[in-house]
Amino acid sequence: MSRLFRDRFITVALFAGVVSWLLATEGREGFGRDEGQYMRAGERYWGWFEELGRNLGKGRAGQSFAAANIDHYWSDNAPDHPVVMKTLYGLSWRAFHRCNCMGPARALHPVPVLGRHITLPLFKRESTAFRFPAILMSGLLAALVFRFARKLVPWPAAAAGAVLAIAQPHYFFHAPIACFDAPITTMAFAVGFAYWKSLRSARWGLWCGVIFGIALGVKHNAWLMPAFLVAHYLWMRRGDLRRLRPPRLPLAFLSMAVVGPLVFFAHWPWLWHHPVQRTRTYLNRHLQHEHYNFEYLGRNWNLPPTDLDLKLLRATFPFVSTGLTVPVTTLGLAVLGGLVLARRRRGRPLADDSHPPPDAVGLPRPLLVSRASPAAGVATLAPRPSWMRPGMDVDRAPGAFVAAQLFGPLAVLAIPSTPIFGGVKHFLPAMPYLAVAAACGLAWVAAGVADVLRARGAQRHVVPATVLLSALVCVPAVTETQRSHPDGLSHYNMVAGGFTGGATLGMNRQFWAYCVLPMLDWVNHHAPDNQRMYWHDVLGDALAMYKREGRLDMSVGDTGFGEPGVERSAMGLLVHEKHWALYEKFLWDHYGTLKPSLVREREGVPLVIGYERPRP
Amino acid sequence: MTTVSAAVPEQIRPWSPGARGGAWGAVGLVLLAVLETAQALVAPGRAATAADWQAATQQLRADFQPGDLIVAAPAWADPVMRMHVGDLLPVAHAARMDDARFGRVWVLGQHDAHAPEELGRRAVFNHQFGALTLRRFERPPAQITYDFLERWQEARVIDWDPGRRVASPCPWARDSFVCPRTGNTVRRTLVEVEQQIRRAILSPPVAGEIIALEFPAVPLGRELVIAAGLHDTWARKSPGTAHLEVWVAGQPVQSADIGNRSGWHRLRIDTAARAGQTVPVRFQISASQPTLRYLAFAAEARR
Repeated sequence: MSRLFRDRFITVALFAGVVSWLLATEGREGFGRDEGQYMRAGERYWGWFEELGRNLGKGRAGQSFAAANIDHYWSDNAPDHPVVMKTLYGLSWRAFHRCNCMGPARALHPVPVLGRHITLPLFKRESTAFRFPAILMSGLLAALVFRFARKLVPWPAAAAGAVLAIAQPHYFFHAPIACFDAPITTMAFAVGFAYWKSLRSARWGLWCGVIFGIALGVKHNAWLMPAFLVAHYLWMRRGDLRRLRPPRLPLAFLSMAVVGPLVFFAHWPWLWHHPVQRTRTYLNRHLQHEHYNFEYLGRNWNLPPTDLDLKLLRATFPFVSTGLTVPVTTLGLAVLGGLVLARRRRGRPLADDSHPPPDAVGLPRPLLVSRASPAAGVATLAPRPSWMRPGMDVDRAPGAFVAAQLFGPLAVLAIPSTPIFGGVKHFLPAMPYLAVAAACGLAWVAAGVADVLRARGAQRHVVPATVLLSALVCVPAVTETQRSHPDGLSHYNMVAGGFTGGATLGMNRQFWAYCVLPMLDWVNHHAPDNQRMYWHDVLGDALAMYKREGRLDMSVGDTGFGEPGVERSAMGLLVHEKHWALYEKFLWDHYGTLKPSLVREREGVPLVIGYERPRP
Repeated sequence: MTTVSAAVPEQIRPWSPGARGGAWGAVGLVLLAVLETAQALVAPGRAATAADWQAATQQLRADFQPGDLIVAAPAWADPVMRMHVGDLLPVAHAARMDDARFGRVWVLGQHDAHAPEELGRRAVFNHQFGALTLRRFERPPAQITYDFLERWQEARVIDWDPGRRVASPCPWARDSFVCPRTGNTVRRTLVEVEQQIRRAILSPPVAGEIIALEFPAVPLGRELVIAAGLHDTWARKSPGTAHLEVWVAGQPVQSADIGNRSGWHRLRIDTAARAGQTVPVRFQISASQPTLRYLAFAAEARR
């Protein structure tokens, strides 16, 4: 098997494996506040395409592009988020759902259902069809991590790095849902990878702008990507700075500055008629985002801290959260990999002469190999630096690159004025690079094992041993991830003590009511009281989707929000988060009992509390 | 022969941990992986089961006496505990000011967790039910000479304008004291302070006014214990503090500024010198920025 074929085979296998794993498990995750909205918006965006098709048939395509018509469809979930993923969710739903659209749930669709949809019914549930693009993006991430890591380490470690990027309970929770956090993680990695390649390839300099534009259309995290890339670029070209010579502006940055915004503007119809005003509205939406509630180390955070002690505590959030959520073996390998990369920076080279640089002959170049490998002959490639290939004449500083991409997102979340309500999801783009660092650490250990085996004359066992070691380090991460599902948000690692340890440390356990899915049977079995059901943090969009899929009876009601909703209700749910104690008080007040009828828990940690109003 | 850029130092010579480093690294890595995997597989089975709860609460019900306090350890297990024995736990107990008045405290603990209500005492009853531990602690309960929460309707509530030196009474109306001039109300209710439900007197301050709650005849013991905090997690996003001042027998004795970080703030006033006397006790509430400063407090005079 050629090296090229093997790497391509592993790439495809990783993609397929991740997609299969996520498809097999996503059905156990409920719909959160945000996901329900994005599904609704995606379907509404599809409505625009559907109407465009009709208008094209009538020769009146221009009608679809009129400001009022665009706003009718594309104002949904604007200015909150751009529409790359939501549009894909809508198109995927339209293409792959199994249509029961003419049944009793017909009225629950956000756009009128004119007739039975002809589809390729790949999925039993509509929500799976919505989620499919996000799942594909996670598969793509695994493939990209492997391809990037392969440039630094041998294939077993690179493949393990790809698995470790996915097998993280919090990432895995976000991976299949029709939101943006896993997709932007993929796009952040894609932008970084394209930039890395652009340092020695003009073609990738151009692609970098296109990919960055798509990333801008996925989520606003993309705004920050250039800063991390610039940090690396300045480090890589620090020789220029020492000589008081400004580094060349690389093609990748030029492309990102020009092509990126064009792609962003082109992809979002909502901007077309009012580009400046609406772009400003979108930017302000996120620059002035409110601080929703979030529990961290026993405190409820819903404001930027003003006191110094709280600022300092708050600054630890991304680092402590990473330390307590990522599987410990992965963390250990990443620390080791960081040391390996840092040591290399101090002049201890890592790469084997026998492996050519990819840019020279198009083959991967492991950074870490056995000392005992025989060195092949090396010739010098004349450096040809230019603004189109600004990394040709210098070391591309992979350690600095990984560090900038890893610590950049963490550093942003360490700023005390940054909202942290989404927890780990806010800095998920750092996690694939943490996995790359882990792959470097693994390769370092594997190289030592190879030396041991060679020293004992067991050369033929080197590859099997390396593969076995790489597989073994993935086992705890996969096991932890499988254990956490579908409550990855509540999960903490071995250091924290798992679900219970996280709760005891006062770490956030959940948000936005993803966790109510297992309570639906209890609700369904309580007719007719469930006609006056208080749903707390579960939004109508999520309820509509549960009903469309037959998981929730059509007759189940919703008494609305806040204390009036509790007052009107006969039974209710309370999502158990620290700041919701106020709403439990409402339930105690109006039901006259503090005894829940049902508590949904994981390993003893309560997640959702069900109450019934006692009968007189 | 292959080609390498002359300025790319990482490609010049290899580096590995060597045989010894590699061997130790691999052993450490394998041990860590095995340990973490084992922990992930074993931990779910260590959680308390329905049968554990059934057995523990059956025992508790058999030995329970009215007036006993039941708490969960760790505190986050409280909803699960209430699901099993919530009928034994009156709202007044669950939303208590503190636990000093309880002579017998039951602790339902998971994984040997302890509750602050144990106060470091030895359990007089300690039995394991699977992953649950049922413990009982006993101690001399605080003797309450006056419970301001229970007797809150005895208060005289006054809305005092210090600028104009005008005092307006806030008469009783159905279920609360209502100040006609400002529309302000004072009532006993459940409140949420520091993400915990408490039973308290809710008396929000009013701009430029002092709300005074005077209890005319309080039999004092050795101490007056007060706990105060700001109600409502959303309201606590607003800035500013509420000022609480305590007067005993016509003299100001202690005060506190209650803000967003105060939590359920405790005040202890030594009244040993007046123990046995019956005197008026007044609570004065004010704020320079009263918007959304929902001050709530509870108090007890103790022997």
